[in-house]
Amino acid sequence: MDIAALEQLGFEIALGTYLISSILFILYFSTKKRRLAEMGFTLVCFGFAFQTFALATRWFFAGHPPWVNTYEVMSFFTWTIVGAYLILNVRSDYRSLGTLVAPLAFATLGFASLQPTNPTPLMPALQSVWLLIHVPIAVLSYCAFFIAFLASVLYLFKDKQLSEGRLMKGPHKPRDRSANTERAVSRETIGVLGKFSLDQLDDLAYRSVAVGFPLLTIGIITGAIWAEAAWGSYWSWDPKETWSLITWLVFLIYLHAKTQNWGSSLAAYIASFGFISVVCTFLGVAYVLPFLETYVSVSTGLHGYVGGGVVAGTVFFCGILGFVLLLLYATRKKPPSASEAPQAVTNTEAATAR
Amino acid sequence: MNLVIKLLTSAKFAVAIIAVIILLSAVGTFYPGGDVVFGSWLFLFFVGLFALSTAFCSLTRVVPLWRDVMHPPIEISDQFLQKLPYHASISGVTVSQIKVHWKGYKWYETRSSETTFSFAQKGRIGRFGPHIAHFGVLMLLLGVAVGTAYGYANPYSNTITVIPQGGSQQVDGFVLQLNGFNVSYYDSGAVRDYRATVTLIDGSQAQTRDITVNGPITYGGLTFYLYGYDSNGVIESGEASWVAFQIKNDAGLPLVWTGSVVALAGIMIALYVPHKRIWIIWSNEHILVGAISNKSSARFFRDIDKFRAQALDHVARSKEI
Repeated sequence: MDIAALEQLGFEIALGTYLISSILFILYFSTKKRRLAEMGFTLVCFGFAFQTFALATRWFFAGHPPWVNTYEVMSFFTWTIVGAYLILNVRSDYRSLGTLVAPLAFATLGFASLQPTNPTPLMPALQSVWLLIHVPIAVLSYCAFFIAFLASVLYLFKDKQLSEGRLMKGPHKPRDRSANTERAVSRETIGVLGKFSLDQLDDLAYRSVAVGFPLLTIGIITGAIWAEAAWGSYWSWDPKETWSLITWLVFLIYLHAKTQNWGSSLAAYIASFGFISVVCTFLGVAYVLPFLETYVSVSTGLHGYVGGGVVAGTVFFCGILGFVLLLLYATRKKPPSASEAPQAVTNTEAATAR
Repeated sequence: MNLVIKLLTSAKFAVAIIAVIILLSAVGTFYPGGDVVFGSWLFLFFVGLFALSTAFCSLTRVVPLWRDVMHPPIEISDQFLQKLPYHASISGVTVSQIKVHWKGYKWYETRSSETTFSFAQKGRIGRFGPHIAHFGVLMLLLGVAVGTAYGYANPYSNTITVIPQGGSQQVDGFVLQLNGFNVSYYDSGAVRDYRATVTLIDGSQAQTRDITVNGPITYGGLTFYLYGYDSNGVIESGEASWVAFQIKNDAGLPLVWTGSVVALAGIMIALYVPHKRIWIIWSNEHILVGAISNKSSARFFRDIDKFRAQALDHVARSKEI
């Protein structure tokens, strides 16, 4: 079996394990059976191992780091988010986060599988040490901001459910069958939302941005140094440069909101908009702008991944963006009505009384 | 005037300005001929406001911050200590035991009648991180301004010069001679490398250098980049009939790079260096300890709790003996 076939095998096994793992996590989400999350997590670990093998093999036989064309960049990005998920689970139990991580891993790796895989030798502009520094650091920052988005969206969901009286504030005994109300309450408390406190989620979001923001800063600076050498200008308002700056500015606002204590809920929404900006920087600029170019006059700039279907990329971008916006819309709190508020109070009071 | 100062020092105003810059930038990427937005007076106005806001925010806060961080209150009242986010009593420890546990901290001490006041702090620079970052950003923006203003001062800067094969061009007191241009290919037919070989003739001195896509050369304060070439007949003979070079002189570059690095350092200091403080009041009746930190306080307080528990445990065990 030649080395290219080995790489493909590793890739496909990883893709399969992420799919099965996603199914397990979705089942976990609806049944709250802990065992499913544990199995899903184990599978993700296997998938990560196969992906590591595939990426290393790819680097070897392509003759350049595995982040040049779309297929490689998307594989690498998938690997980083799975890796981040695994790192989170080293000291604490964040396995239930797989409910969102596994499906995204499958989606991004699946998108990669649709792209041409033949490795392209480096064009002159890419033959630079900066390829080894600028690109992976930028992708790692996107990964960190994804985790921040994950934590933020979970924070907002939990905050919403707590304010609507559907959740107890902390871990709750799972098998309380003494009353219908209680069972309804207890079913909500286990599972993804019940496991983490608001503070924990807020803290995870902040720590993720604390990792991602310096990484993005370094990514932008090294990109500018590279651009100065290769294009004669460290900043030309190329769409990729502009959107990475926008992302940086959004998270700059996030950090100010946090240090000025403007509220964790607001911070969570800002981090979520920051992730939308990441999606625009990572996917939007690379696919949507060239796609739009056939219809309207837009500048696509000098950044572009070699290979990569522009239509598939635009569809993927719309899918991810749509999903993110849907999640955010679902977190909005219902305005309290006169009849609702007292009821909510009674439910939690009754539950705590027992 | 007071209102203007109040706005410029307000964090909310700063964030509002950043939000406007975000919106304008987003619009700019879709606007045909995008540079129109980024070079517009509107955009520059907001960038200017951003710079002013950054400067004022730091200028008004740095001096009081310095005073608070460098000259902390050491002799404090019991009430002050009890208002701190962490306060507790401790027993069974000596001054030296505490200093050993929190070594690496800067210790201060003062005595008043029967009471001793100890104070320790670590990570003072962490509080200045944001201001270091602000300073770096301002340096960067100044570098951009200098580069834009003086970049055009040299008449050769921001020009494209086309040199025919074997020809030369007078540039600002020296001569750029094109010796050869070579395009190499991969087996697949894709381009592997663009390389121009030039000689810089300055009076009696001459040096021959290569210019590649990622390898511009600098001479006489000007930088030469590969810009383009005439592809007619290149594939067969491997030579071009002319090569275009872009000439630039960006006087602001040193400021831009320095400012970026300073800003990055400030960001990392602000995010990763917590400023921790401990106060201890030793009187005849009790030993009180109070603490505060601007980040990761949970871990810091847990550590003090552990220390207190160990001390109490030690006291208990020595009582048994």
